[in-house]
Amino acid sequence: MTEPILRVDGIVKTFGGLHAVNDVSFDVGKGMIVGLIGPNGAGKTTIFNVISGYYAPTRGKVFFKGSDISGLPPYKLAKMGIGRTFQVVKPFPGLSVLENVMVAALCKHPRKHDARQHAWEILEFTGLASRADDAAASLTLPGRKRLEISKALALEPELLLLDEVVAGLNPTEADRTIELILKLRDQGISILVVEHIMRVIMNISDQVVVLNFGQQIALGKPVEVARDPVVIEAYLGEEAA
Amino acid sequence: MRRGILAFGLFVGVMALVPAFVQNAFVLRIVTELFMWIVLAITWDVMAGYAGYLNFGHGAFFGAGAYVTAILMMRYGWPFFVTLPVAGLFAGVAAFLAGIPTLRLKGAYFAIATWALALAVQQLALVLDITGGPDGMRLPPFLDPVFFFYLILAVAVATFLLLWVLLEWAPFGLKLKSIREDESGAMALGLNPARIKVQAFILSAVPAGVLGGIYAFWITFIDPASVLADIITDQAMVMAVFGGLGTLLGPVIGAIIVFSFKTIFWAYLSDYQVLYLIILGGGIALTVVFLPNGIWGTIIGHIQGRNALHKGMSLNMPPGRSPVQGADVND
Ligand SMILES: Nc1ncnc2c1ncn2[C@@H]1O[C@H](COP(=O)(O)OP(=O)(O)OP(=O)(O)O)[C@@H](O)[C@H]1O
Ligand SMILES: [Mg+2]
Repeated sequence: MTEPILRVDGIVKTFGGLHAVNDVSFDVGKGMIVGLIGPNGAGKTTIFNVISGYYAPTRGKVFFKGSDISGLPPYKLAKMGIGRTFQVVKPFPGLSVLENVMVAALCKHPRKHDARQHAWEILEFTGLASRADDAAASLTLPGRKRLEISKALALEPELLLLDEVVAGLNPTEADRTIELILKLRDQGISILVVEHIMRVIMNISDQVVVLNFGQQIALGKPVEVARDPVVIEAYLGEEAA
Repeated sequence: MRRGILAFGLFVGVMALVPAFVQNAFVLRIVTELFMWIVLAITWDVMAGYAGYLNFGHGAFFGAGAYVTAILMMRYGWPFFVTLPVAGLFAGVAAFLAGIPTLRLKGAYFAIATWALALAVQQLALVLDITGGPDGMRLPPFLDPVFFFYLILAVAVATFLLLWVLLEWAPFGLKLKSIREDESGAMALGLNPARIKVQAFILSAVPAGVLGGIYAFWITFIDPASVLADIITDQAMVMAVFGGLGTLLGPVIGAIIVFSFKTIFWAYLSDYQVLYLIILGGGIALTVVFLPNGIWGTIIGHIQGRNALHKGMSLNMPPGRSPVQGADVND
């Protein structure tokens, strides 16, 4: 078996006494989409922050293409090929949409002219080209989510971490984004995706990891996980709450 | 852009001819001083407008440069010109050392820290022997106003071009602005904010240091109350804010307007210095409230707004900035 792009190995992350993530382990294979699901506060975003270098893990290790990246800062990981989006979107509001993407494109294309060219290509691909010269602040939520993806893509990543890029979109927008994600997978990018909407995760993921209160309660193919009584209980519990 | 280069060349050309037509030493001195303020205002704006950090101690780089030149000339017998690179280097190293701890702070704390550091530098100059303490230092008079005019004009032109190349032409300015807009977001795109901010701080400090060195030789007398006064920072701030932060031309225009006002006021109403400060303070308050992007920023905003309307888009977004950086990834 070939080496996975990402290996998360026994990650623990505590905040004070709170175990936000408690002993989570999974792999993302090359060209795969792995879904990360779980009720609110389950620790999904925290895992993303650990993988992308925003938090150092309390325990455990993260491997990217076989090398230990635990504790490396976000900007190094971005250069190594890990792109991420933020659940609470982080546009550069006073810069234009194009400039937002150019900043990321500079990572692989240090000359401004090349970065601009590349950013244009990304915007055409993600459907934001018509807004290129607008201030990022003028985008509505669907646009901002698409901008998040565009910026992460402009890094030309091998691994893409998508934190709720579908949530909050109307069905048409959601379908477009899902289509986009599948296209990226087909281009060979490995993707770890957090989403609340089961329909989305179950349809696009090759593997699903389920978290609940920081614990990893299931790992497997979507159909298996969907039948897992522990998972069903966790989600029923959420609805009852 | 071609028009910009033309206008810039024309402006510099006209300015270079000033000494040929202006024999009046007072006027020449005023114009020289104007170029000094332009340098202080545009370098202050590197941090304020581009990086989003209000440096309340910018004048300390200028004062330190003045002391470096004075000390090297008077105590070590160095020739004037050789002291200038050292003055710039000294300011740059000071920015590096001060920047590493303070640029981790959010905007408001950085402002306080730089204000306190500048105060400490002034106090240091007051107690040290090598600086002459409160008595200051006297330099050999070199009374050639035309020489200083051209020298300071050259520094202003070189600084403007350097900042233009780095902040507007090269990718550095875009990186800096993205950090201003969202520091933790910029990190996810491969930028190391700590490093880039320190580089910007050095960039803002070096020209101020060189300028301080020239100023010391020009004025021939420096003491902590003059070259390390906080009014230097305050004036540069007022000029930059009035003209418009985050652009290169804004602080230049602000410096010209504010300095002209100051000069006229002091020439005719020198008995009313308090009034000058009141008008300046009121003016800056009104600017911040009614023209938050300054004069130049507002003009640009209007031009872009109209263009965007023609294209059927609404781009009424002046260059945004938030002095306080959010570093929370989970907010
Ligand atoms: N920086 C932090 N400091 C303290 N507690 C935190 C921090 N970040 C997250 N937490 C806590 O860790 C737990 C997991 O949060 P996390 O944001 O990872 O959940 P999530 O699965 O992404 O939830 P959601 O679906 O609502 O986005 C929560 O209890 C949260 O309050
Ligand atoms: Mg989350």
